[in-house]
Amino acid sequence: MRIAIFALLALIGTTPALAQSPSVSSWRDAVRRLRDARPVQPLQRARVVASPTSIVDESEPNDSVRTADSVALGDQARGVVNPANDVDTWFVDLTAGQFLSVDVDAAELGSPLDATLVLLAPDGRTVLAFNDDFDDFDSRISFRVPTSGRYFVMISSFGRLGGGPTARYALNLGLVDCKAVGTEQEPNDAPATATRMAIGESGTGQLCSQNAGGDVDYWSFAGQAGTTIELDIDAASTGLLVDPFVALFASDGTTRLAFNNDGDGADPRLQFSIVATGTYYVAVTDVMGNGSNPFPYTLHVRSIVPGPGDPITVRTEGIGLPLGLAVGSTGDLFVGDVTGNRIVRISSQGTVTTFAAGIQSPFGIAFDASGSLLVASVDGKVYRVTPQGQATPFITDTGFPFWIAVAPDGRIWLTDVLDRSLRRYSSAGQLEARFDGIPVGGSGPGPLAISPSGEPYISQGTEIWKLANGQFERVFGDAAIIWAFAFDVAGNIYAPLPTVGRIKLFDPTGTPLSDPFAVGPDAPQALAFGRDGAGSTVARLFATEPLIGRVIEVNPAGVTKRGLPVGFTAPFTPEAAAAGLLGGAGLSAADRQFLDGIGNRNGRFDVGDFQAYLRTLNGLPGSVP
Amino acid sequence: MNGSRWVFAIIAILLLGVACSNDATGGQMQAGTLTLRLTTPHPDDGAMTFQVSGAPIDSAVAINGSLRLFTRREGSSTVVGAVVGALANGALITLDVPDVGAAARYTATVLEVADRQDALRASLTGYVLTVTP
Repeated sequence: MRIAIFALLALIGTTPALAQSPSVSSWRDAVRRLRDARPVQPLQRARVVASPTSIVDESEPNDSVRTADSVALGDQARGVVNPANDVDTWFVDLTAGQFLSVDVDAAELGSPLDATLVLLAPDGRTVLAFNDDFDDFDSRISFRVPTSGRYFVMISSFGRLGGGPTARYALNLGLVDCKAVGTEQEPNDAPATATRMAIGESGTGQLCSQNAGGDVDYWSFAGQAGTTIELDIDAASTGLLVDPFVALFASDGTTRLAFNNDGDGADPRLQFSIVATGTYYVAVTDVMGNGSNPFPYTLHVRSIVPGPGDPITVRTEGIGLPLGLAVGSTGDLFVGDVTGNRIVRISSQGTVTTFAAGIQSPFGIAFDASGSLLVASVDGKVYRVTPQGQATPFITDTGFPFWIAVAPDGRIWLTDVLDRSLRRYSSAGQLEARFDGIPVGGSGPGPLAISPSGEPYISQGTEIWKLANGQFERVFGDAAIIWAFAFDVAGNIYAPLPTVGRIKLFDPTGTPLSDPFAVGPDAPQALAFGRDGAGSTVARLFATEPLIGRVIEVNPAGVTKRGLPVGFTAPFTPEAAAAGLLGGAGLSAADRQFLDGIGNRNGRFDVGDFQAYLRTLNGLPGSVP
Repeated sequence: MNGSRWVFAIIAILLLGVACSNDATGGQMQAGTLTLRLTTPHPDDGAMTFQVSGAPIDSAVAINGSLRLFTRREGSSTVVGAVVGALANGALITLDVPDVGAAARYTATVLEVADRQDALRASLTGYVLTVTP
């Protein structure tokens, strides 16, 4: 029995809501674009029909269903897409349940044709399947027909622009054979029937969709506690336009421990630190289902050296889609749950409570100068959540606020992925400056952090840039996607690399200090340093893992320096603020505006603002100093 | 100067000192503490600025640890202050003064009040500060 692909998706909670909404200019879309922009792989044939039953040449005109040429299973149809907008139509009679394979060969014939294939139902109108590129530019369709009848295959050039006298093709029609290939042992669609292998070995198999549910291959291996392993799939890297993914399951066969989709181009690769000796299961599949083409793959299971941040500790799990992460002044973790439309508070004892609800898909979060939590929402607003958990719209003039940070002077920085800008706001939420982020390239500006020098640093996907004197400057880049990074006090950068499932440590110039720093995380996306009960930043590093709904902490023994204090730093003492309030000198107009901004924002510095400032400093009577 | 003239001079100085004394009762000034008391129409005051003037004030101290006081002196007889905390009817601050007998000469004024959510009171109607022995 083959497991339905959607059941697997549900099991691993794969495609996150982040990938589904927002629909416009999302970071996820940008990540996908980056992924798709991978270098062209060397040509490699996936399948060649060696000896067709017969070769059938086209007979023009055959541009429509009505004038289609006849071909049978096992035949090879040959023709030329000429002129440029030519369409060749073929028909084949099939029996219900047959798994049709239509495979174009053009490149190997020396043809310049970039073909597209369409499979039509017996009514001659309904499109059952479409393919542009599978084996490099050559198309292929695999489809299990539901009813007996005459089906139509139409071949043309991509965009109907590339035909010509030399645009020859061969169309191989046959049946898909889903028998086990390589070292896999079908059926292996469940943990109970997994094909066994050992760490250090490689297994080969084929993903072949027998039905609309798709195919999944399970493998198993024995893992020893303390071992760090890597699962590496090779499929797209052989030149096929496919997109497999891999998941690692615990000994019960159902608890998902790690997941990866595109750790190595379109191929998945993940690392995981084993903490309990036992049998582990690897699931290999893709997301296509019926209409997807079978493809071979190789699974490598390796033992690798862990990083100083391993092993990790799971602090909380079961949070829907935890993304944004901030640490409060008493050390509690605050996490944005994108699918739960809420902010979750995790106490130092591990107690999880909903801090604020009703904020649609929170992304970046950060504490402002007044101790309120700023939350960037998919609804286009930044909300301000009081320490009591009451949320009100705060910044409303952005298109799509994505990531947010508060500088030591209390100013608010955010990235807007709709107009691709980096914006600076006063502590009161008034727009002060907008910086066009398009020059940083990639999909930036995205995740954001404030450096020790006070300059905002942003990720544009695979590169870190900073804003210095109003101009963006590239700091460094990496081969993998860099998400929401964090600085330690020395300016070193801890970067989560979700697509390769690890955390990497760079020095301030971008030279790797530890690679990997930690391989235990699944797909970390936001990092934050912890704080002690008095609010001081400490040498503990936390991360959110949206794809599997958990918050983890890396091994604190591997974190050599405490975190850079994040957010607002009080610029003057309570006594100085009081003197200014009571008529003394010492506060500038900007200081007064700042103090009003963290208070009641009525346009002047008054006793209400002073009270707010004391609260920010934990200086109210009864508060912890 | 002979001895009798020295005695006369000392007596004259002593008599002059008595004549120049401003103690209406004929006694000494008595340093001590006065109390600044608040009357408020609201149950949720969180912070207030005020002014006390009229006679010398040595220092001011919040009545207990639930309040935090900041002051600034404007001359020898005027103090402005900000008191933060759960303000309520009754004693707020003690004033150390050089002469408790001059209590009636002090006047105290509420300048601003904010509620505990930092909002400024639009009206100070109903607020009264008094200085009492």
